[in-house]
Amino acid sequence: MGRSYFVDEAVEEYLSGLQAAPGSCVTGLLAGQSSPQRDFVVLAVQTPHRESEGQPKASKGVGPLDDIDVEWVTEHAKQVSRMLPGGLSVLGLFLLTPPELSKDAQNALKRLIFAMEKYIIKGRLWELSEEDVTDRVTLHICSKTKKLVCKTFDVKDPKSSAKPADWKYQTGISSSWPMLTCSVEVDLQIPVTGSSSDNTDKCMKDGLRRWAKQIEAAYCLVNGRQALDDSELISGQKKNPKTTNRQTLPTRIFVSDEQVELDERSTALVQVCSGSMRVRGVVHCRAYIHNNKPKVRHAAQAIKRDLINTVCSRVEMFLEDLLINEGSQKGLCSEQQALPRRVFAPMSISGLSVCDYMFPDESTADVAERLKEMLDCETPEEDIDTSLESIFSAISGSEITDSHDDDSSKHVISEIQAENPIIQKAPQYYAGVAIAAAVALLATVTSLLYFN
Amino acid sequence: MVYSEECDFIFRLKGILEFACQLDNPNGAQSKCTISKSFQDLRSKVSSKNTVFTVCNSPVLIWPNTGFQSSVESLTEASACGDILQCIDSDDGGSKKSSKKKDKKKSGPTVVNMKLLFEVTEPAGNEAPSLIRVSTQQHCVKMPLPLDCALSVTTDERLATVCKGLVEALNKQLADMEEVVLQYRKGSSFLVPQPFHFQLPEPSGLITVVYPAGVPDSQLQAVREDLHRKFELPCDRPYLRRANAFHFPDAAYKDGYLRNPHIHLNPPNIEDAKLYLVQGVYSYHHYMQDHVDDNGWGCAYRSLQTICSWFQQQGYVETAVPTHKQIQQALVDVGDKEPRFVGSRQWIGSIEVQAVLNQLLGVTSKIMFVSQGSELATKGRELANHFQTEGTPVMIGGGVLAHTILGVAWSENSGQIRFLILDPHYTGGEDLQTVTDKGWCGWKGPEFWDQNAYYNLCLPQRPKTI
Repeated sequence: MGRSYFVDEAVEEYLSGLQAAPGSCVTGLLAGQSSPQRDFVVLAVQTPHRESEGQPKASKGVGPLDDIDVEWVTEHAKQVSRMLPGGLSVLGLFLLTPPELSKDAQNALKRLIFAMEKYIIKGRLWELSEEDVTDRVTLHICSKTKKLVCKTFDVKDPKSSAKPADWKYQTGISSSWPMLTCSVEVDLQIPVTGSSSDNTDKCMKDGLRRWAKQIEAAYCLVNGRQALDDSELISGQKKNPKTTNRQTLPTRIFVSDEQVELDERSTALVQVCSGSMRVRGVVHCRAYIHNNKPKVRHAAQAIKRDLINTVCSRVEMFLEDLLINEGSQKGLCSEQQALPRRVFAPMSISGLSVCDYMFPDESTADVAERLKEMLDCETPEEDIDTSLESIFSAISGSEITDSHDDDSSKHVISEIQAENPIIQKAPQYYAGVAIAAAVALLATVTSLLYFN
Repeated sequence: MVYSEECDFIFRLKGILEFACQLDNPNGAQSKCTISKSFQDLRSKVSSKNTVFTVCNSPVLIWPNTGFQSSVESLTEASACGDILQCIDSDDGGSKKSSKKKDKKKSGPTVVNMKLLFEVTEPAGNEAPSLIRVSTQQHCVKMPLPLDCALSVTTDERLATVCKGLVEALNKQLADMEEVVLQYRKGSSFLVPQPFHFQLPEPSGLITVVYPAGVPDSQLQAVREDLHRKFELPCDRPYLRRANAFHFPDAAYKDGYLRNPHIHLNPPNIEDAKLYLVQGVYSYHHYMQDHVDDNGWGCAYRSLQTICSWFQQQGYVETAVPTHKQIQQALVDVGDKEPRFVGSRQWIGSIEVQAVLNQLLGVTSKIMFVSQGSELATKGRELANHFQTEGTPVMIGGGVLAHTILGVAWSENSGQIRFLILDPHYTGGEDLQTVTDKGWCGWKGPEFWDQNAYYNLCLPQRPKTI
């Protein structure tokens, strides 16, 4: 008795349209939602071309299967995970091979699936519960016969063997999946001990972990219902498969400051810090839940995990970016910088949203490019919704230092902030000026040549 | 434990609120302002629209600061607070069987437990997050404040009013906590302020006092003196020690001992008799408890334990109830017994009880001698006086038995008397029904005593202290 995967017809179309150079393989991801009874696949994306392909690595194996860039496949999986809203995740991999490689395909898939899972969960701040499905699907496609072999591996058990699974195509799998939304105010004060950038990262991680625990324990109202017991999310409504309307369910989240390890103290916890970091602003969260009698608590869990993921992803991306641009932490002046903000775009056929993160100096064109590269889908720029989170505006100097009793740092902050907006506009501004100047120069030269 | 006749409900709101602040210089003059500002921010937080109360064991969520909104349609601004009971899942499946009602009248008001939460959704703006880095050396202080507010109300009080009252109580408690934190702070060492509830005699009722954690009662004498003055409490007995804290009716005692089994008894039917009973709370100690098999020899020890439990729960001592060995050791220490007494199964009497109370608890006792058991019937006035002024349990030893006297029903006119006896010879488990039904705690007549034996009674005296 294996798992059953209900797969959207759009995925069937995508998979049958895959082109592989003769003798070579195509890898890709399968994404969707797992529930204890059944699984749903709504997206398939082939692994994008790796740009540094100019010098192919010396073939270490005997064939194309060994040449699969495991690192790149897992990196792609991680990037795609960041782009999926709550409730959706990477469920597995597909591998298209020529007939002669079919018998080794299973081993390759097993290696890939475990490597992928290991990489994706790194840095994840919420724990799996007993109800979470740990089976991941592997789909092997023969490029000649188009035959599909679908198996699952339990990624909790490294020694697990492949179990057979059903792969069934259906239309409009996710068309009436309800969408949960909420906007959440985040205000985390994280003390930083020590001065190296490693320390900063660790402190940030610890601070985020504490906050994530608070969110996991938080009370949640989904569409006015609490996730108290086994109650169903949408009860009293006849399931009408013809309904194409997607319900939007507003969600509200309530936290308490209770932290078990702090409870029995009789004194305050005092740390000498070299500084602090504050993450402050509003994030927009979204999650989808299947409509096969979903329970309120699963829906609540999906949106909470989306909340934790979105804050973590942005901080991770920001710190990665900082490391590239600045080298090591400057750490000498105080400043406020915008974290990448979340934008949403609809996936072409299923109508589910995917998301991306825009740095302050980026535009929707950059987002569209990333969506094409990572999710292999064309999105018109006007469909990209940037309205859900607005650009931060520098808050006044006094607000940043509100917990300080040292006045001297105030003026430094306001100076830096005054500089920031200008710096952010610079690349686009100067680019425009440069182009205009070039055009003018060209025109002048041309006219000189012609009229002389 | 006397409850105000009118109070039907106690609404209890608990929650942890994290206090955090950054101090550049913990010993500097500015640090006090910083701390006060942080407390001010917390007070604003509990008064904000994001404050939410949830009623435990129910789906009810209440927003008290937005003109009373609740997540359950049946509870509106006009609802009486009693309506909330319909929404709560109680342990016995919600149906109140009539047999349970018989005991309900003695167990006091219904406690409605609530928890403090904060909404993080529905924000005012939608500005995407930013990261603010501050790089100055500072002391980061984090402290969980254990908020605990309680309000006594009548059934017809509106729920909206109760919730407003709880928000006010939160504000006041934060102000009290700020005072305690500032008063006991030494540089960057902060003591956690802890709230305690006390049921004072009318008209004060249920009040809450904040004490600093880790500071023993003995060092808080001056604070208590101020409060005794403020609430016009007698200055010779404790009301506000931590041990005097109000025991909420729905909370079980963690140690498992029965408390005051006598309150479940019906008083004897004597014409014209008045009841003179033990005051306050004691635990019932008897044979075989704590895995000690003292069947046949430990009755006086158990009576002594009951008395010690009384002094502990009224706040006179902080030491735990002594074990048999500790009692024996105390007698060796005062020179009353040889060292080999410890670990033996030798009986003790009232004199030894008096000695141990003095040695371990610093409590003095009066000894009353009765040459014949039949004479006890004439001691009504003395015993009545004792229970009226001291109100402590009395240990009586004589014949071959020891018992505890918890009170008398005595008629001044006819001289008729009954004794409320707590019997330490019970070998069963902590089952209230058995103890009261089988008379292990019960009213006895003068014939209960061995009419020919002589008896010694140990009457412990309350120390005059607050």
